[in-house]
Amino acid sequence: MFWMVIFFPLLGAFVNGLVLRNRVPKLISHMVGAGSLIAAFVCAVMTFPTVLGENAVIVHGMDWLQAGGFHAPFNFVLDRLSGLMMLVVTGIGSLIHIYAGGYMHEEDEVWRFFAYLNLFVFMMLLLVFGDNMLVMFIGWEGVGLCSYLLIGYWYESDANAAAGMKAFIVNRIGDIGFLLGIFMTYKVFGTVSFSELREIVLSGAGMQTLQIEAIGSITLALFIGACGKSAQLPLYVWLPDAMAGPTPVSALIHAATMVTAGIYMMTRLNFLFYLAPHTQTVVMCVGAATALFAATIAIVQTDIKKVLAYSTVSQLGYMVLGCGVGAYSAGVFHLFTHACFKALLFMGAGSVIVAMHHKQDMREMGGLRKYMPVTHAVMFVGVLAIIGFPGLAGFFSKDEILWRAWTGGGPIIWGMGALAALCTAFYMVRLLMLTFYGPNRSDHHTREHLHETPVHMWAPLVVLAIMSALVGYLNVPHIIPFPAHGLFEHYLEPVIKMPAAAKEHWEHLEAAYPASQEWLLMSISVLGMLLSSGLAIKLYGNGPAPALAVWRSRFGGAYDMLLNKYYVDEIYDAYIVTPLREMSHFMWKVIDVMIIDGVVNGVGQACTLIGGLTSFRMSGSLHRHAMVLVLGILCMLTVLIF
Amino acid sequence: MEFINHHVLSFITFVPLVTALVLLALPSLALARWVSMAGSLLCLAGGLHIWAHFDAASAGMQFTEAYAWIPAFGIRYLMGVDGLSLLLLMLTVALQPLILLSLWGVDEKRQKAFLALFMVLETGMIGSLVAFDMVFFYMFWEAMLIPMYFIIGIWGGSNRIYATTKFIIYTFVGSLFMLVAAIGLYILHYQQTGVYSTSLLDLYQTTPLYETQMWLFAAFAVAFLVKVPVFPFHTWLPDAHTEAPTAGSVVLAGVLLKLGTYGLIRFAIPLFPQAVETFAPLIVALGVIGIVYGALCAWMQKDAKKMVAYSSVSHLGFVVIGCIALQAGGQQMSVEALTGALYQMINHGVSTGALFFLVGVIYERRHTRLLADFGGLAKAMPWFGTILIVATLSSVGLPGTGGFVGEFLILLGSFQTSALAGTFASLGVLLGAIYMLTLCRKILFGPLDNPANKELEDLTPREFGYLVPMALMAIVMGIFPNFFLDKSRASIEHLAKNYRNYRLTATSGMLHESIPTETAEAGH
Repeated sequence: MFWMVIFFPLLGAFVNGLVLRNRVPKLISHMVGAGSLIAAFVCAVMTFPTVLGENAVIVHGMDWLQAGGFHAPFNFVLDRLSGLMMLVVTGIGSLIHIYAGGYMHEEDEVWRFFAYLNLFVFMMLLLVFGDNMLVMFIGWEGVGLCSYLLIGYWYESDANAAAGMKAFIVNRIGDIGFLLGIFMTYKVFGTVSFSELREIVLSGAGMQTLQIEAIGSITLALFIGACGKSAQLPLYVWLPDAMAGPTPVSALIHAATMVTAGIYMMTRLNFLFYLAPHTQTVVMCVGAATALFAATIAIVQTDIKKVLAYSTVSQLGYMVLGCGVGAYSAGVFHLFTHACFKALLFMGAGSVIVAMHHKQDMREMGGLRKYMPVTHAVMFVGVLAIIGFPGLAGFFSKDEILWRAWTGGGPIIWGMGALAALCTAFYMVRLLMLTFYGPNRSDHHTREHLHETPVHMWAPLVVLAIMSALVGYLNVPHIIPFPAHGLFEHYLEPVIKMPAAAKEHWEHLEAAYPASQEWLLMSISVLGMLLSSGLAIKLYGNGPAPALAVWRSRFGGAYDMLLNKYYVDEIYDAYIVTPLREMSHFMWKVIDVMIIDGVVNGVGQACTLIGGLTSFRMSGSLHRHAMVLVLGILCMLTVLIF
Repeated sequence: MEFINHHVLSFITFVPLVTALVLLALPSLALARWVSMAGSLLCLAGGLHIWAHFDAASAGMQFTEAYAWIPAFGIRYLMGVDGLSLLLLMLTVALQPLILLSLWGVDEKRQKAFLALFMVLETGMIGSLVAFDMVFFYMFWEAMLIPMYFIIGIWGGSNRIYATTKFIIYTFVGSLFMLVAAIGLYILHYQQTGVYSTSLLDLYQTTPLYETQMWLFAAFAVAFLVKVPVFPFHTWLPDAHTEAPTAGSVVLAGVLLKLGTYGLIRFAIPLFPQAVETFAPLIVALGVIGIVYGALCAWMQKDAKKMVAYSSVSHLGFVVIGCIALQAGGQQMSVEALTGALYQMINHGVSTGALFFLVGVIYERRHTRLLADFGGLAKAMPWFGTILIVATLSSVGLPGTGGFVGEFLILLGSFQTSALAGTFASLGVLLGAIYMLTLCRKILFGPLDNPANKELEDLTPREFGYLVPMALMAIVMGIFPNFFLDKSRASIEHLAKNYRNYRLTATSGMLHESIPTETAEAGH
C-alpha cells in the first residue's frame, strides 16, 4: 500500500504529461490530476497505521547508486514524522488539486499544469520518505525543478520566466550547502543513511571527539540548504517573486509543503543538530530575524499575494526559530497548522483574484464580503488562525514556539518573535479589511462580474477552515485546562531524540517553569494581538487612503523602506550580480580573447614568420596542410620503427 | 562464438574504415547513406555483443587480440577492452548511427566525402580506445585529427580555416610531446629489462626514476590536457565548435574530448604515479579554475553554440578533478571520484551531444544561433522545448539525470581528498544552472514576438529519431546508474587501489603466455 502512495502521483504526471497531453478535454486532465492525488491520499490513510509504531519501518527499494564505499539505495523510512508529512502532502494536496481545476479552467494547457503538479507531489514524497540524504536530495532538487516549471507556467511572460529562474538559482546556492553537508557526513561517518546515522549518534559508542567536532560544520552546511528551500535570510528573495506562478501552486508549493522541507530536514536530523549548539544558535537567530524582517515588509504591501508571500517567509522563520531552540515538535506542529491555514488563505486569495479578473491589488478591492460570503467566511477563520486568536490553530502552535523562544533564547529572541506576531496580526487584519470590508473600489466592469466561486472551489476551503479552527487542540499546553495535553508532542517523541552528550545544552527543554510565567507571556501576546488588530481595523476599515495619509505624514522614510522591501533585491543586484557579470565579461573578453588567444596567435605568427624564411611554408590551402600533416606522421612513424 | 569474441574488436575498429572506402566508390548519395548507416549499425551490434559478454567481475583486458607485428622492435597489434574503456566504447558506437541520421536530410556539397570522413573518424576513436600498444594507440590518436581537420575546414562556418588550423596545431603539438615521451619510455623499458616492447602491459612495469617521471608525465599530460581541454589550453575549443558543422561538434564534444581524460587514466596516471602525486594539486587547481572560468565565460556568450562550447570547458573540468582525486602519500585514488569521472565522460557525451544537436535544429531552420534572435520557442516548438529542457537538466546535474550521478560522485570523492578543491568545484553546480537556464530562457521562454519564429516547424520524425534516444539516455543514466557502473567497477577499483604499482593482464580473448612478455609469437 505504501508504494501506491508514491506511485499514483507519478502515474498521474505520466498520463497527463506524456500520454494524454492536449488530446483530451480539460475536465479529463483535471480528473486525472486530482484523481491520482485523492487515490494517493486514500492509500496514505491506509498506510498511516504502519507508522504509528515506536520504531521506524524501513522499506527497501532498488539499489540505486554505489561507488567505492559510497552506497545509496532507494530505501524509504516510515515513521511518525514522515507519516505526518505524507498526510499533509497528499491530503492538503488533494484539496488544492480539486480547487485548481476551477482556478485554471480558462487556461489552454491544463494538462501541463497538472502533470507538473503531480510530479511535484511525487518528488515531495521522495524527499519526505528518503532514508538517506541522497534520496532526500533527489526529492529536494526535484521539487525545486517543479517549482521552477510551475512558476514559469505562463512562460510567455518575461516576469514569470525570470522569477522561475531566480527561484532555481537561489535554491541552488542552498543546495551547495546541502551537498557539502552530504560530503562531510560521508567523510566523517562513512554513511549518509538517516537510520544508520541515528544509530551511530544515539548509541554514542562509536563517536569520537573528531566526529562530534565535525557535526558543527555538517549541520551548518545543511542549514544553508534549509535556508535556501525554506526561504530564510539571506536566501528568502526567491519566494516573493515565486508568487508570479498560478495561485494553487503558491498554496501547495510555496506555502504548505515544499518550503517546509528545510524544517523537515532539520527535524529528521534533530539528533545531529542537538549536538551542535553553535549551529543551533545560528538557526535560532536566523529564524527570529526572518520572522520579524518579513513580517515588517508584509505590513505595507498592496498585492494580496505579496502580503501572503512575506507572511509565509515570516511563519517559516517561526518554525526555524522553533528548531533553533531545540523545540522540534513545536516547529513541526507550526508547520502542520500553517499548512492548513496558509493553504486556505492562499486559495481564498486565489478565489478573490479570479472574481477580480486577475487583479491582485488590494487597493482596487474592498467590500467583497457582500459578493463572496463563503470566501469571506473561510478567510475570516484563516486570518483568526494565523494571527493567533485564542482557540484557533495558530494560537497553540505559535504560542508554543514563543514560549520555547523565551526559555531557550532569552528575552531578545522572544521579543523579536512577539513583535513579529504583532506585525502578523496587523497585516493580516489589514488584508481582510482591504479585501472584504469598506467600500468597493473596483471599476464598474469588474464589480458587475463579482461572484462567489463554484462549489468545487469553495468546498476545499471549508474543509481547510474547519481544520484551521480545530487542529490546534492536538497540542494544548499543559497550563490550559483541557482533557488532553501535548498529544502532538507525544506523537513525535520517538522521532525527536536528544543524544545523551547533548543534554547539558538543552536543560531549558526539560526544566520546570512556573505556570504564572507562561500565563503572563501568553497574555502579553494575546493582548498585543488584539491591540494590533484593532489598530488595523481602525486604519484600514474604510479603505487604504486614511492609513496611507498617516504613513506618509509620520513615517514616510520607513514606509518607503518597507514598500521597497529594504532594497534587498537592489543591493544583491548591485553588489553580487553586477560584479559577477562584469567579472565574467572581463574573463571572456580580456583573459580569453586578448591574453590567451593573443599569446596563441602570436606564437602562430612567429612560427609563420620563421617558416616563411624557408621554402617549406603553409600556404593556407587545405590540401597542402593535409599533405604536410600526413607526411609528418609518416616521417615520425618511420623514425620510430626503423 | 569463440571466433567472434577473438575478433570483434578488430571488426568494430575497421568496419568503419572499410565502409568509408566503399563509400567513395559508390555512385549515389542515397546509397552512400544506407551503406554508412549499415556500417555504423554493424559496429553498434559488435559493441552490444561486447557489452553482453563482458565479464564485469574481471579488471583485466578482455576480448584480447594480439599479433606480433614487428617483433624486432617489440611492436604488436594488441587490442583489448576493460572497464575503463568499455563505456566510452559503447558511447562511440551508439552515437555514430545517430550522427548519420542527423546528416540524412542534409544535402550539401561533397556529402559523400563528408560521410566517409565521419566513418574514418569512428575508426580513429574506436582504435584509440581499444589499442593497448603505444604505436597503434598513437596512430589511431593522430588518425582522428585528420578527418576532424577536414570536417571543420571544408564544411565549417565562415571562419573555418582559422578554427581548424588552431585545432590541428594545438592538438598536434600536444601529441608531439606525447610521442617524444613515449619513445623515451620505450627506451627506458629496454634499459631496464633488455627487451623492446611497445605494449602498454609491459610499459606499466617500467619504473622510471622520479625525475624522469616528472618529465615524461609532463609531456603526456600536455597532450591529454590540451585535448580535454583544460584551462589555459582551451581556446581552440570554442572556435572549433563554433565553426564546425553540427555533426562535427557532436562528435567533438561527445567522444573526442573524452579521449584526453581517458588518456590520463589509461596512460599518465598508471605509468607515472609518483609524478602524478606531485602534479595533482596543480592539475586539480586548473580543473577547478576551468569549472568556474568556463561557466562564467559561457554565461557571457551571445551565440548558443559558443555557450555550449564553453560549458564543455566547465564540465570537463569536473572530469579532470575526478580523474586526479588523490593525495600525495595517500594509499589510493578516490574510487568515488574516479567512478564519477568515468560516468561524467559518458554523460557529458550524451547531454552536450544532445545540446549541440538541438542548437543545430534551430540553426537549420533560422540560420542564426544568436540567443537574441529567439524567444518563446516553447510555444512554436513544444517538443523541441521538452527535449531541450531534459538536456539542460542533465547538463546542470539535476538528480534523476546522468549529470547528477557524475557530478555528485566527482565532488564527493574530491572532497574526501581535498575539501578545498571539493568546495570550490561545487560552485560549478550553481554556475552551471546560471548559464544553462539563461540559455533555456532566452530560447524557449518569453514572448514569441519575432515573426520569423512564429511559423517554425516542430521536430520532424527524423529529428525525433536522433534526439529522443539522447534524452531517454540522459534519464536512464540518472535512474539506473548501477546498470552502467557495474561493468566498470572492477577496473576502476583496480586502478584506484593499485595505481602506484599498476599491472594489467589479459583475462579473455586470444590468450597467450606471450602477452605480458616479449618473446612469444602471437597469432595463429
